[in-house]
Amino acid sequence: MNVTDILFVLFMAGGLFFFTTATIGLLRFPDFFSRLHATGKGDTLAVFLSLVGLGIYEGFSLTSLKIIFIAVFMFLAQPTATHAISRAGFRSGLKPWLKEEKKS
Amino acid sequence: MIQKSDDIIIKTLARILVPFIQIYALYVIMHGHYSPGGGFQGGVILAASIILLMITHGLKDTQKRMSEKTVAILSSSGVLIYAGIGVVCLILAGNYLDYSKLAKLLHVAPAHARSLGILGIEIGVGLAVMAVMFSVFFDISRGEVSQEDEDE
Amino acid sequence: MNEYLLSIGMGLCVLVFLILYRVVFGPGVFNRMVALSAIGTKTLIILLIIGFLYNRVDMFVDISMVYALLNLIGTLAASKYLETQGENY
Repeated sequence: MNVTDILFVLFMAGGLFFFTTATIGLLRFPDFFSRLHATGKGDTLAVFLSLVGLGIYEGFSLTSLKIIFIAVFMFLAQPTATHAISRAGFRSGLKPWLKEEKKS
Repeated sequence: MIQKSDDIIIKTLARILVPFIQIYALYVIMHGHYSPGGGFQGGVILAASIILLMITHGLKDTQKRMSEKTVAILSSSGVLIYAGIGVVCLILAGNYLDYSKLAKLLHVAPAHARSLGILGIEIGVGLAVMAVMFSVFFDISRGEVSQEDEDE
Repeated sequence: MNEYLLSIGMGLCVLVFLILYRVVFGPGVFNRMVALSAIGTKTLIILLIIGFLYNRVDMFVDISMVYALLNLIGTLAASKYLETQGENY
């Protein structure tokens, strides 16, 4: 087991961990904005880690260059998509969730 | 009618991304015989880039870049390239789309002529698919306008 | 190494099935859109892992890039539509 294998295992495990936390947040959080908060940040970091890990596993070639391109593209696209959805939700009148005591 | 988005983040992202998406679509069209893709898929990606421009920058700004007349000319020229290469093969005493007969015209080996013929066909298909797909989207968004005008 | 990649891919498939709960039962159209976008990002990684398992990464990486692109455009178009229509689509 050399250095690239260890790096690959670490990056893929980190990607799967952040995907899992984002999914738990999406399932357990109480309202739309907090669910978006969980998936928006968690998925972006997890996609980046997984793609870098797969690029390390592939080695130095044209395919790994394309994988790095996908990583850069997702790092630009995912926050923008999250921003667009949250803006649409806010403009259409969704209210943020408050604790029961503050409601009254 | 599709309005211009008043959000600077989405507009800046579209302005940065659209040229790269179009270059990638040209790559997909050109590499059709080695990797997945080809004329149809590359044309769809080209149309997706223009639809992204239309979603973010509105109908009017897109019409300045790509008017209805340009779309009509592009779609018919794509079909003309496809049918024209086939008919040229017929004239050179081959079957329809028999590319190896193009070797006499281009002065190359028959195998090379077959590769060049497939490339020409894919460019034609890509142009036609891009123009037709964009014109369908264009007609849908213009139909919305006329309905609103009738209401007022 | 292939067994490790296979286990990562199976974990991602389980996560996709968990998110399908939010797509089916999630209250309102916005929750469904968030869940669909999350499924799209996981599918991108699953496609690349399938490519590595079959030793044809050079083909699957193109499909993966187109998938990422269409996911972005679909999310932007749907959010632009819902911004004017609201919860009662």
